[in-house]
Amino acid sequence: MMKKLTFRAAVLVAAGAIGVAGVAAAHHSFAMFDQSKHVLVVGKVTSWNYNNPHSWLMVEAPDETGKMQTWSFEGAAPVHATRQGVTGETFKKGDAVRVVMSPIRDGRRAGGICFALKADGTVAQPYDGTCKMPAVYEKWKAAGWLDGGKNLETHPGIE
Amino acid sequence: MKVDKTIGAVGLGLLLGAGIAGYATAQTANPLLVTPQSQFKPMPMPAIEKPAQAFKTAEEHYKYLLKQANGGTKHTQATIPDWSGLWTSGANSMTATFLVSTNEGALMSPGGTVREGILTPAYEKQFKARRAEIGKLGQQKFDRLTRCEFPGAARWLWEPYVKEFANTPTQTWMLNDFMNETRRVYIGSEHVNIDAKHSATGDSIGFWDKDKLIVWTQWINPADYTRGMPLTSNQLQMVETWQLRHGDKGAKQLTAQVTYYDPLSLVKPISLVYLQEYRPDLEKIGVRIRNWECATSSNDFIDAEGNTSVRLPGDPEYKDPRGSTDYPDLPGQDLDPIFDPGK
Repeated sequence: MMKKLTFRAAVLVAAGAIGVAGVAAAHHSFAMFDQSKHVLVVGKVTSWNYNNPHSWLMVEAPDETGKMQTWSFEGAAPVHATRQGVTGETFKKGDAVRVVMSPIRDGRRAGGICFALKADGTVAQPYDGTCKMPAVYEKWKAAGWLDGGKNLETHPGIE
Repeated sequence: MKVDKTIGAVGLGLLLGAGIAGYATAQTANPLLVTPQSQFKPMPMPAIEKPAQAFKTAEEHYKYLLKQANGGTKHTQATIPDWSGLWTSGANSMTATFLVSTNEGALMSPGGTVREGILTPAYEKQFKARRAEIGKLGQQKFDRLTRCEFPGAARWLWEPYVKEFANTPTQTWMLNDFMNETRRVYIGSEHVNIDAKHSATGDSIGFWDKDKLIVWTQWINPADYTRGMPLTSNQLQMVETWQLRHGDKGAKQLTAQVTYYDPLSLVKPISLVYLQEYRPDLEKIGVRIRNWECATSSNDFIDAEGNTSVRLPGDPEYKDPRGSTDYPDLPGQDLDPIFDPGK
């Protein structure tokens, strides 16, 4: 099966068949996110809601027309995100981030976060029940697609 | 799977124009990243301990155990088992009980077939429909907890959040940060229900048999064992035997041997084992149980088609968990003074 990646504005859709998510330790189903897709959104942090029942990262980034919009990415509850190395101080207002996420199925500017590359080269992983994490991250890392973030735009999709 | 790529010049230009090039080449190891395996070698899951004989009811079972313990051990604060510290859920026998599957990951994900003859026909039919939905969509469409419902007594045992246990001679408190849900076990007491109603955690009484805590719980709201697992009825009752076990290098494990009695959903009583793992590594990195703000910060809802959905910033009913109170004109009413001091 072949899939074509189409680049729309700052959104890179790397569609692939990643199958089903792992067990979500969340208070809701993640069926609302299309986990057959990975999308890259590049922007700046406007809010980091490190809250129960889920954390949310808000990013200002362009939409398909280039207009700056608020994008919202759902992550794990703090207790799980903390175990994954994330705290309430992981993101600061104005931080430049590259967010890899599984988009919400209804087409709005939102998704379940897989991981986010920060400008200092660190990778934050506040994922919860999406993206087949952490296996996907480890695979991308091993393949060199994350090195310096330079290969993120051109990674060859997810199996 | 091969994927070919089409990257438009416009998009690439926007990416470059975002001005966030220059990422470091090395991924920094995160000192906060923890796993149970980083602390201890995981202790194996013990075998399920079924009741010594078949009991028709939880009451029969509980009273048998109480008699076997000669009325129970009367602990003082000095002698009562110490289960302090932070704990998280470990392995359990839930998946293997309800599914024919060797994959524990099938709990909430596709895989496995419904083990027939465990549930009554109506509940088995519902469970098969739930598993079919998971098989089709990858996950269950909607979880009742999305409405900020409490997990309930049975699901408490599995919920993978941070837990604490406080034992006193008269009560044991089992606290989960998830939904601030606390189970209270009244030691040496009879069941009491002046509210004349069921609740998420029901009413729990118990006694000590040396270092084992035996608990009988009834009057539990209809709920489920967890997402992806069967429903329970309002007739569910539980008899639990809790015990602390020690492993190598300071590892500790709380084992709960649980027998469920539910004549409306179960063909006959079933016994499962659940583990809670001691997690001093979480204490070390500063994890503390915080108040769970579901009602004021969850934006998830069930849509008209029964799907899980979420309200986003800008939606009329969106609740901003880092916004302000009902009195935004007063100084000091912002909920986000650390992240955004100027707001």
